[in-house]
Amino acid sequence: MIEIKDLHKSYKMGSNVLHVLKGINFKVEEGELVAIMGSSGSGKSTLLNILGMLDGADSGAYTLDGVPIKNLSETKAAQYRNKFLGFIFQSFNLINYKSALENVALPLYYQKVPRKERQEKAMKYLERVGLKPWADHLPSELSGGQKQRVAIARAMAAEPKVLLADEPTGALDSTTSYEVMDLIQKINDDGNTILVVTHEEDIAHMCKRIVHLKDGIIVEDKKIEQVRAEQYV
Amino acid sequence: MFDRDVWQEIFNTLKTNKLRTFLTGFSVGWAIFILVMLLASVNGMQNGFTGQFNDDATNSIFVRPGTTSKAYGGFEAGRRIQLKNDDLEYIKQSFPEDVEYISARYYANTTARYKSETGSYSVQGTHPDHQAIEKTLVVAGRYINEADIINKAKVAVIGRKVAEDLFKDEDPLGKFVEFNGLPFRVIGIFTDDGDDNAERRIYAPVSTYQRIYGNTNNINMIALTYNPTYDLATSLEFSSRLEDLMKRRHKIDPDDQSGLYIFNYAEAFDNINSFTSVLKAIGIGVGFLILIAGIVGIGNIMVFTIKERTKEIGVRKALGARPSQIVNLVLLESVFITSISGFVGLLFAWMILAAIGPTIQTPAFSDPSVSLSVVVTATIILIIAGVLAGLLPAMKAANVKPIVALSDK
Repeated sequence: MIEIKDLHKSYKMGSNVLHVLKGINFKVEEGELVAIMGSSGSGKSTLLNILGMLDGADSGAYTLDGVPIKNLSETKAAQYRNKFLGFIFQSFNLINYKSALENVALPLYYQKVPRKERQEKAMKYLERVGLKPWADHLPSELSGGQKQRVAIARAMAAEPKVLLADEPTGALDSTTSYEVMDLIQKINDDGNTILVVTHEEDIAHMCKRIVHLKDGIIVEDKKIEQVRAEQYV
Repeated sequence: MFDRDVWQEIFNTLKTNKLRTFLTGFSVGWAIFILVMLLASVNGMQNGFTGQFNDDATNSIFVRPGTTSKAYGGFEAGRRIQLKNDDLEYIKQSFPEDVEYISARYYANTTARYKSETGSYSVQGTHPDHQAIEKTLVVAGRYINEADIINKAKVAVIGRKVAEDLFKDEDPLGKFVEFNGLPFRVIGIFTDDGDDNAERRIYAPVSTYQRIYGNTNNINMIALTYNPTYDLATSLEFSSRLEDLMKRRHKIDPDDQSGLYIFNYAEAFDNINSFTSVLKAIGIGVGFLILIAGIVGIGNIMVFTIKERTKEIGVRKALGARPSQIVNLVLLESVFITSISGFVGLLFAWMILAAIGPTIQTPAFSDPSVSLSVVVTATIILIIAGVLAGLLPAMKAANVKPIVALSDK
């Protein structure tokens, strides 16, 4: 599903050049649930941004579902993001003047899905994350866990190939974190490919594979026994 | 453009920022209000000026005698010039090509009496041509004709007000009215667009009045119109030829400014036209400058809005919004604010003009109003202004890097 080869990325910080990614080789099969771990500054967020086409790599190859991702125009990148990827952010990034339903329907709007169909689909995904009764609520009327669930529903609404979650539990307490992870596991059980960036051990162990990043290279890549989040909920 | 969702979003942002939207909109509305009011005022001035002249033919020239201020041709300065019937004939014969209508004016005052009603009026002794020069509208009966002049007939054409004052409900035509004791037959009644005072006037044959006042050939003034096909340059050239000739005839120094007055309407009209067009240009200029301030205001607010919504735009881009869709959203919002507030300004200006415009009827300023073309132009300007105001911020928004927008750590 995802294949990257010898990926390099550096940032200019004034006169200094900060080499963040120093040759990453990495492959993700369909249906995997991968945790990308590392301390801050290890390059995990940069990797995720490149995977999410929010940022470009300096060198190296990136193939997503057989499509080479290179030198994309803004418009093309937007199209690919919409078609291939669903984003889940640490701070949820819901649009605060839109109801939960409208937030979920937004990626479908950019896919030019007709209004009625859009609403039906969005409602379906809201139901799946257990928030159907909150469909008309604004984000400000929802708890942190609920917001993240809306965000997950939004990420899934466009039926992307890959879900990218950047510290999805970073802003949540542990109980809510487990609820969200439970949801992510269940979505994965349905066959969706998910990448989770985290620095929390327990969250990482709820995935099926852990990739350890340190100073811009992969130091460890192992398959693990998945800890089900259900038992903590 | 007519996407329901786009409008929903625009209304949402406007609703959540009511005060800001109002303040921004106000600047543009105010600018349009001022622009329209300025144009209407210039229009009112123009109406006022032309209103002052429109009772006379615009191609008319008036020749009035004065008192010389320079010694010339053996005469001392301070000599009074007197026009006579010969002068009229002389002009007529000297400029057969140029002169269209020509008439003398002999000024007199009279106390008119009909039955028990009396009144004091000014009388102008004229030739038949005077009707065309002064654009006198005879509403009943007829004007003075050649036969009246030859016969020195005691006939009068009276103004509408004179008829009302003296005859009340009676039909004055054919009745005899006494001017200083002499009976004159009323042959016509006229109205005048100029003002009410003109309708308190009486016209009589010039020859009749010259005989009554001591059998003179004196006249007070010569009024004439020139060939209406003349343009400004030709008409000015003609009036200077006329002046030269008349000055030579009356032995006035060619440089003497006060011996003889030749007043050419075309000149005055031209002055007024250029004056009002300069005023109009100033009005448009000032209005535009104010409008630019409004546009900058909107642009400023849009930049601020984009700044505030950077994160939201980043999220949208991450969710697959194309740059063109972001540009669209910002532009539409900007055009929407400018158009709506501009229309409110336009509407206010229009309502004020409609309410008080017609009541303003002073000589220098009357009926200020705006034409449809001004309204249409203003609308087009507004939409262009909205696009201009939104363009830069929209480009800025489209260039928001989702990665920068979303970095919150």
